Amino acid sequence: MIIGLHLLAFVLYATAWVLQLRGFRRGREPGISGVTVAGAGLAVHAAGLLLYALSYRSLPLVGLGPASSSLALFISLFALAASVRTDLRAAGLFLLPLVLLLLGEAVVVGIEPTGRQIAFRGPWFVLHVSAIFIGYAGLAAASAAAIMYVFQFRALKRKEFGSVFGFFPALDSLDRLNKVGLAVGFPALSVGLLAGWSWTLTFGRGLALDKPGTILGIVTWGAYLVAITARSRPGPRGERAAVISALAFLVTLVAFLALQITAREAGFFL
Amino acid sequence: MDAATIALVGLSHHTASIELRERVYVDSASLRDTVRRMMESTAIHECVVLSTCNRTEFYLHAADPASAEAVAIGTVAARAGMSPAEVETCLYHRHGHEGVLHLFRVAAGLDSLVVGEAEILGQVGDAYELGLSLPESVGPVLHRLFQSAQAVGGAVRSETSLGRGAASIPSAAVRLAAKVFGSLEGRSAMVIGAGEMGITTLRCLLSEGISDVLVANRTLDRARETVAQIGGRAISLEDVWEEISDVDILVTSTSAAEPVVARDKLESSRGQVGSPLVVLDIALPRDVEPGVGGLPGIFLYNIDDLHKVVGATEEARRAEAAPAETLVADHATRFWRWYRSREVGPLIKGLRAHGEAVRLAELERLLLGLDGLSESDRDRIEAATRRLLNKLLHPSTVALRQAAADPNAINFLDRLREELGLAAVSPRSEGVMEEEIEGSGPTNGSVATESEEANETRS
Repeated sequence: MIIGLHLLAFVLYATAWVLQLRGFRRGREPGISGVTVAGAGLAVHAAGLLLYALSYRSLPLVGLGPASSSLALFISLFALAASVRTDLRAAGLFLLPLVLLLLGEAVVVGIEPTGRQIAFRGPWFVLHVSAIFIGYAGLAAASAAAIMYVFQFRALKRKEFGSVFGFFPALDSLDRLNKVGLAVGFPALSVGLLAGWSWTLTFGRGLALDKPGTILGIVTWGAYLVAITARSRPGPRGERAAVISALAFLVTLVAFLALQITAREAGFFL
Repeated sequence: MDAATIALVGLSHHTASIELRERVYVDSASLRDTVRRMMESTAIHECVVLSTCNRTEFYLHAADPASAEAVAIGTVAARAGMSPAEVETCLYHRHGHEGVLHLFRVAAGLDSLVVGEAEILGQVGDAYELGLSLPESVGPVLHRLFQSAQAVGGAVRSETSLGRGAASIPSAAVRLAAKVFGSLEGRSAMVIGAGEMGITTLRCLLSEGISDVLVANRTLDRARETVAQIGGRAISLEDVWEEISDVDILVTSTSAAEPVVARDKLESSRGQVGSPLVVLDIALPRDVEPGVGGLPGIFLYNIDDLHKVVGATEEARRAEAAPAETLVADHATRFWRWYRSREVGPLIKGLRAHGEAVRLAELERLLLGLDGLSESDRDRIEAATRRLLNKLLHPSTVALRQAAADPNAINFLDRLREELGLAAVSPRSEGVMEEEIEGSGPTNGSVATESEEANETRS
């Protein structure tokens, strides 16, 4: 049933993305249909995770499958929250593939407890993982906005009034989404890292710098610190901030993939 | 048949780059001289020049169209700084009915980059008005042609949906600004040049929530007049550089021959301003140096860019343009019938004169052989021959009027002209001729007017 709900959510998200792609191809501003379908996907997805929590009496935060699904839910929430503003519906074009990737991974590896649930519990752990996920989701939204900003900026500068011009939001709206994403994501990531550190202290251990999850968190935190700093410099900041935000996302993605490949516990470090 | 016809030589956004259009553009100051020089040619009977940012067209009524067109090509070449052969590649030519149809399509907005735009109708009217103010520039043919064009433009806008929600340069300007700023609520705008297009654009921006407006003009009084109508603050051109750092949208619409916004000056005035500046240069020649677009945080768009923005919308409108095209074609056919019928008028008159001469000669012969007829009998015979002649000529007159609009009937009409010994029509005496035509015909002698033609077409 849990897998079934996840599969249904996957199909709905995929449909929403296809609708977004169609709108993009036509160069028209996104309609309500894509948002509605994505919203239905979010509801089904949330139901699947709720069923997990009820079935296993544990939050879906531990293990690659449940953790990926939870992170996908947070990103989907951000996409839908952005879509409340009509001009930001297009954010789904970049956020939904991330959701699909994470949800697909969860379905493939299985959405089941790993047997380590006893070790990974308690308020510090829940705060740590939840905050990290909110941080990643916020930063994903900021990055999606940044990437769209770069494309829209270039379309406007080069006077290319095609799909990007028609479908992507206004530069100012994208800049605001980037700002909100950073404003929510960066503190949440910081809190998550601090909570994780505090949590390891309860075991009498320091900051686990040898753990892939810790490395990823610190790399991401550093990359986004640079992105926030770029926003505060004087002069026309829009494109510069967007490019740095997009690069920060790229750095995070590369770090994630490198750690997945090199770390022995790759399937677990999330 | 007379060789005089309506001829058109022109270039537009379809055939020429913005740079060439800028060079060929005839501003209102030099328009009079241009028309006057063209009218010096004996080949040209009438001339109206329509020059806008998108097109420069010479509408001619000429006895010798080839020579008249050569004069127009020479004028365009001189303005473009090119040889006539070089400029010819960017020109189009229309003759007769095709020329009429072209002007009607232009007036209806069907030939505009932004299909259905309303500005062109006013510009057609302005070109005609200017022609009227010049001696002998507008005669009976172009007078009727341009009046009909304005009527067609109005009819298309009132009778079809082409004009409804039509994209325009100002609305394209708003869309571009909105793609940078999102909502325009609370943004500031400056207009340099209080011309019609600039103010129309400003009105569009105001309707989107622009709150702070500055109007700069060469003459401060004109700027003050404008702000009195639409609000905002009037400033002189010298104050532009002090105020520009607080502006989000800059609209330039002057008639200056040289750019009024230089890259270096704008760069130093904006300094390290963090927010972007959208520069909408809707003037021709351009008011803003092209290099301004390369400055960080500045988005520069000229008139061609604005046209591109609404390109997609235009495609959709093209699909809706079919009823307008039908209406325009109908009016062009009606006009062409009138044009040809004014040429066939002398033929009808000649035919009637010939018939009358034959009638009188035959009547005289008849009466000579009939002695002893009373005066009343003679009158009755005279009236009977007159009625007979009218009844015989009526179908011929109708057929001639119809033949006037038929290109295949030219040889027939020429032959008839020869048979009747009639001379070619003098275009400069058409006003008199029209009155004469009105007085001839089968019963009351009138040749179909445009309204009658319309009734015929409808029936």
